[in-house]
Amino acid sequence: MGLVIGIDIGGTFTDAFAASDDGHVYSAKTHSTPPDFSRGLINVLNDLAKVIGVSVAEMLGNTLYICHGTTAALNAVVTGNVAKVGFLTTAGHADSLRIMNVEGRYAGLGPEQIQDIISTRKPAPLLSRKLVREIDERVDSSGSVVLSLNEATARASINELVEQGVEAIAISLLWSFKNPAHETRLRELVREIAPDLHVSISSEICPKIREYPRNVTTVVSAQVGPKLKTYLRPLDNELREMGLTGSFLVMQGAGGAVTALDAPEQAATTIGSVLTGGVVGCAKLGELRGDANIISTDMGGTTFLVGLVVDGEPVKSTHTILNQYSIATPMVDIATIGSGGGAIASLDAGGNLRVGPNSAGARPGPACYGEGGTEPTITDANVVLGILNPDNFLGGKKKLDKTLAEDAIRTRIAEPLGLSVEQAAIAIFTIANDQTAQLIRQSVVNKGYDPRDFIVYAFGGAAPVHCGYYSADMGVKGVLVPLGSTASTFSAYGLASSDIVLTAETSNPNTWPVDARGMQGDFERLEQTLDDRLNRQKVPFVGKTFRREVDLRYTMQIAEVETPVPAGALTESSMQDIADTFEDIYERRFGRGTGFREAGMQSISYRVYATGHMPVKATLPPARECSSELKPTSFRNAMLDSERGWEKVAVYTESDFEAGHEVVGPCIVEAATTTIVVPAGMHGSIDRLGNLVMTYE
Amino acid sequence: MAIQKVAGSERFAYRPSERATLRSKVQSLVPLHDLEEGDEKNALDTLSYEVIRHRLVAITTEMGEALKRMSGSLIVAEANDFNTGIMDEIGDVVSVGLYNTQLTASMDLAIKWTLENRAKSPGINEGDIFLCNDPWIGGGLHQNDVTIFSPLFVDGEIFAWTCSTAHQLDVGSISPGSFSVNSKNVFSESTPIPPIKIVAAGVVQSDVEDAYVRRSRVPNFIALDMRAMIGTNSIAHDRLRSLVSKYGAVRVKAAMRRMMNDAEMRLRTRLKTIPDCVKESVAYVESACLGDREIYKVQLKATKKGDKLILDFRGTSPQVEGFMNCTYAGLRGGVFTVVLPLLCADIPWAIGGIARCFEIITDEGTLNNCEFPAGISKASVGAAWVTQNAAHECLVALMDLSDETRKWVTGLPLAPCVGILSGLDQRGQGFVMVSGDNLAGGFGALPDRDGVDTGGCFCLPMGKIADVEMTEFTTPVLYLWRRERRDSGGAGRYRGGVGGSLAIMLHGVSDNHIHFVATGMGKAVPVATGLSGGSSGAAHHDLIIRGSAAKAMMDRAHMPRDVEELAGDRMIVAVHDESELSADDIYVAEWHGGGGYGDPMLRDPEAVARDVDEGLVSRKAAETVYGVILNGDKADAEATHSYRRVLRMQRAGVNEEAAYELY
Repeated sequence: MGLVIGIDIGGTFTDAFAASDDGHVYSAKTHSTPPDFSRGLINVLNDLAKVIGVSVAEMLGNTLYICHGTTAALNAVVTGNVAKVGFLTTAGHADSLRIMNVEGRYAGLGPEQIQDIISTRKPAPLLSRKLVREIDERVDSSGSVVLSLNEATARASINELVEQGVEAIAISLLWSFKNPAHETRLRELVREIAPDLHVSISSEICPKIREYPRNVTTVVSAQVGPKLKTYLRPLDNELREMGLTGSFLVMQGAGGAVTALDAPEQAATTIGSVLTGGVVGCAKLGELRGDANIISTDMGGTTFLVGLVVDGEPVKSTHTILNQYSIATPMVDIATIGSGGGAIASLDAGGNLRVGPNSAGARPGPACYGEGGTEPTITDANVVLGILNPDNFLGGKKKLDKTLAEDAIRTRIAEPLGLSVEQAAIAIFTIANDQTAQLIRQSVVNKGYDPRDFIVYAFGGAAPVHCGYYSADMGVKGVLVPLGSTASTFSAYGLASSDIVLTAETSNPNTWPVDARGMQGDFERLEQTLDDRLNRQKVPFVGKTFRREVDLRYTMQIAEVETPVPAGALTESSMQDIADTFEDIYERRFGRGTGFREAGMQSISYRVYATGHMPVKATLPPARECSSELKPTSFRNAMLDSERGWEKVAVYTESDFEAGHEVVGPCIVEAATTTIVVPAGMHGSIDRLGNLVMTYE
Repeated sequence: MAIQKVAGSERFAYRPSERATLRSKVQSLVPLHDLEEGDEKNALDTLSYEVIRHRLVAITTEMGEALKRMSGSLIVAEANDFNTGIMDEIGDVVSVGLYNTQLTASMDLAIKWTLENRAKSPGINEGDIFLCNDPWIGGGLHQNDVTIFSPLFVDGEIFAWTCSTAHQLDVGSISPGSFSVNSKNVFSESTPIPPIKIVAAGVVQSDVEDAYVRRSRVPNFIALDMRAMIGTNSIAHDRLRSLVSKYGAVRVKAAMRRMMNDAEMRLRTRLKTIPDCVKESVAYVESACLGDREIYKVQLKATKKGDKLILDFRGTSPQVEGFMNCTYAGLRGGVFTVVLPLLCADIPWAIGGIARCFEIITDEGTLNNCEFPAGISKASVGAAWVTQNAAHECLVALMDLSDETRKWVTGLPLAPCVGILSGLDQRGQGFVMVSGDNLAGGFGALPDRDGVDTGGCFCLPMGKIADVEMTEFTTPVLYLWRRERRDSGGAGRYRGGVGGSLAIMLHGVSDNHIHFVATGMGKAVPVATGLSGGSSGAAHHDLIIRGSAAKAMMDRAHMPRDVEELAGDRMIVAVHDESELSADDIYVAEWHGGGGYGDPMLRDPEAVARDVDEGLVSRKAAETVYGVILNGDKADAEATHSYRRVLRMQRAGVNEEAAYELY
């Protein structure tokens, strides 16, 4: 038996999902164990072995690879528990990390926070100015050396940092992506002086124009790398001792995995690790079902996450904001708002109703949890509206107190606005749905896609309640709630079925059109690098594919458009095709007539995504064939729509579902880990894998 | 020399008509949508209001983000010198973006003027888009601010307007970049364009486009930006149409009205918490054009009465020969640039409502309400900015009287000093580059905390400076340094944020020299004043160093770190200057820090030690200004205490020796 295992570690739960090459799948769920999340990982493997019915040693002995979504890098950055890093940068530019291009004062904040300009401030410095050394060297925009590296003063600087007790050194020099010689030489000097220090250099970590995000990415990598090493190395050893012979992989933010031993060297790429499993899961389930374009929506307790799958591939962005710092590593493009089930409803000074972004979190949680929360949340509104069953929440594992939910909504919202508790609850419900709809719309339409080409996948504890509503006005083809074998461990499923995807990029800013042969050479070098790295993963891939793109823009534009480039030999006419593709994407995004080639065009960065295809595909087992008529378990009063008001609706139990069963909205489905609402005007059916697929009439 | 009035120019000097007056003037020429009596209250439930309100704000933001992605200039895409807005049928602003706030109070003027003057001929029809850069009419503050706006028709009536205004790199005139330091009046500047139809019935009018772009040194860039602004309006129309088709015109319009009313009511309630009183301020500015060494003033008497503010600018200097006057649109822009962050930090920026809380009194023909053909190409960072400074000082004085508003009391931030480079770039193509780095000014300190270091400026909530590499890629220069400027933050119990400093040299220029224009303010006198005993932030200071030693030092593997090392001949750049830079010249700019708050001698000595450690305050300033004695990298508490007593006695007039003795 050959097995692949995905492990997703969240704040509350650690999930495992395994697929075998004989077509079976297994899953297990246990509590996370902060601060040492590795315990939870070992625990869930033990549980998984029990589910499979073998010893852990036997299970691991048959495992081709474990793919792990980790919060280690993210937590290290967010909590500031990072390695002490010394930073070497070009003379005259030590303050780049403090100046933050000014944008660090507000980057990543919501519009209401940004509007309060005087109250905005920059985050704590990534590192003290005392740990930064300016190196006498300079390369210009063409990559020519203007000032050669002064090795004597550089050595002195490195020695000073070593004496200050740094655990790692980050090196990021101006224009190093055009000419990395000074950076690599500095690394040699560091290795001579302090061979054991972890070193990150920007021309390898992030060889792209714009020094501020490149500096951040390099420093963060150096800060997180050693931490990741101390988390992953012992874990890797422990798993080997427990019998693992296959690869131990870590999911990256860009949606593919790297080996745990390589991960610390590219630490920044694992920052989004824990967020991507869901989107990859969508891509993989979509592949099985034949859905190529998917809007991935994940609504947990705190946040609402939206990602996209287009033509079977997760959509990526080239940078992300973390703690107001810009990190320039490609990541699966996930938009977030604080609109999870725990999002708090409140009134602002003018009496306007707001939902989120503050969350009651897991503790104290919504008022109805009875754990001390007094502020009304989306979950409280759902209880008042009869959507959630106080006696059967999470399969009965948690009792909810409806009176507390009503009290919270009455005192904080209903009475000040002069509404009844139910009116206030439906207002909260509707505003929450509209906010999430808006985020989804931005995520789809602003990227130039037409929602009518998409199906929404909804997972995470709270999404199935709201998905029928937040998907309603975009004209999507339908909404799918994963049930059956992936229901409670959807992100882990994504991890288990992920291929290895590596990214390499380089900047070579030029006026368009560029020399076709030169461009081909740049792409071939990137592809060679990636091929070598794929080979180092020690996985018996069944195939490799490479995908090229170039960032193009009209001259002087700041934002670039990632434009696909054909594989193979490039010619003059390919340049023409690429320019046409760029203009097509541009006009789709900004409207017809906005393109203006007369301004001239520039190409900035080249990027290649390499995929190593895994030998085992998670094949999901079919659901039970339809053998009986589906009947509601009960009926209850619920308000599912402000226009329709209270009505008696059918309640179904998920475990009764068989392939081909159909339900008609309005109705409610109670499942072991979630509750699903099928709104009026929607129709649901169970697909052959046991998922609930809802469509609008 | 007096500025000769131009007969016939009066009809362009616009003051907004009352809503009812405007409606009755226009209604017969072009139908305007309106609500029935009571619709605003009855048609709109709380829920729909919330949803529509969120949506309108989101559309405004979407417009801005789209414009940034499409624009071809660093000024728009990186520095955010633009704005977007949605107005009702009459042109009152319902929602504006979080971009250049100077532009939030001038867009409405352009639309109202267009309604009054274009409805008859050439007519305002579905699918039309107008372009305007005439600051007497509105839209922007100087000719560089090009405004593109468009009526949204619903069922044959104008339902709303959308608008985007963006600073254009060059719209002609005698100086590259269109800030004409030699300008005596508007005839040496870019000729303002009153509203013209750039798109008619959905089609870009190539004759009109040509007339517009023909004036520019970089016609392709401004043609690209023009398309970007047209695209921005189209996106907004698509979104608004689907909003109206879902909720109906009545509900959407009722929500627009309520947004303005809500903002107005909230501001009135806030103003009531401030005791009725009068505060006065005078803001000074040096030099109106190249060679001028006079000082001018903007004078303001702010009367807080009940729930409104009367801003009386009478007493301000008369308009001057030069290019730094501003029109009424500039005055309004200056006022709202400080009203929004100070008084409306948590009130939605529905300017149409907020503006009703103010009465503005001003004499015609003055520095900040000038008449045609006074020069205005520097208005946004000229008289409008000085207006802003005067208004800031009065508002902060008022806000300090109320517990509700005190938390926003802060000193003035920087005044922009712009360097404009132009010539042929490394590719042999023409370029104009407006250095925006000095917009990374320090913020003023607050009553309870330090100002943000290199935080930007208040008029650009989302201001940004470009990466050094992006500037070096687009412009033939090489930075020797770009860093924070030690000791530039005004000293205080809470320190003003520090500004920065840069040094650049030509690099890879096609013909070995480039043209240089400087225009600024706050060089002779610091503008970022401190509060409650805090010191001013450092003034702006820039130099051209002729025949520097930079290249020789670089050949010896050393990068010069400061002005001393650069050697050469130093030439101080005047407030307004024009020159050329050649191969061995270095341009050095050291820009403003924010003002401090409270007595520096009350600052926590450990905080001073930390500042010294991080290179933000020098050891010398720690001792002489803050009275802090350092022992290694820590403050010596006892020695500091003693030394501060001595310094205090000196302040009281005791001479140094005697002070030590007394102590």
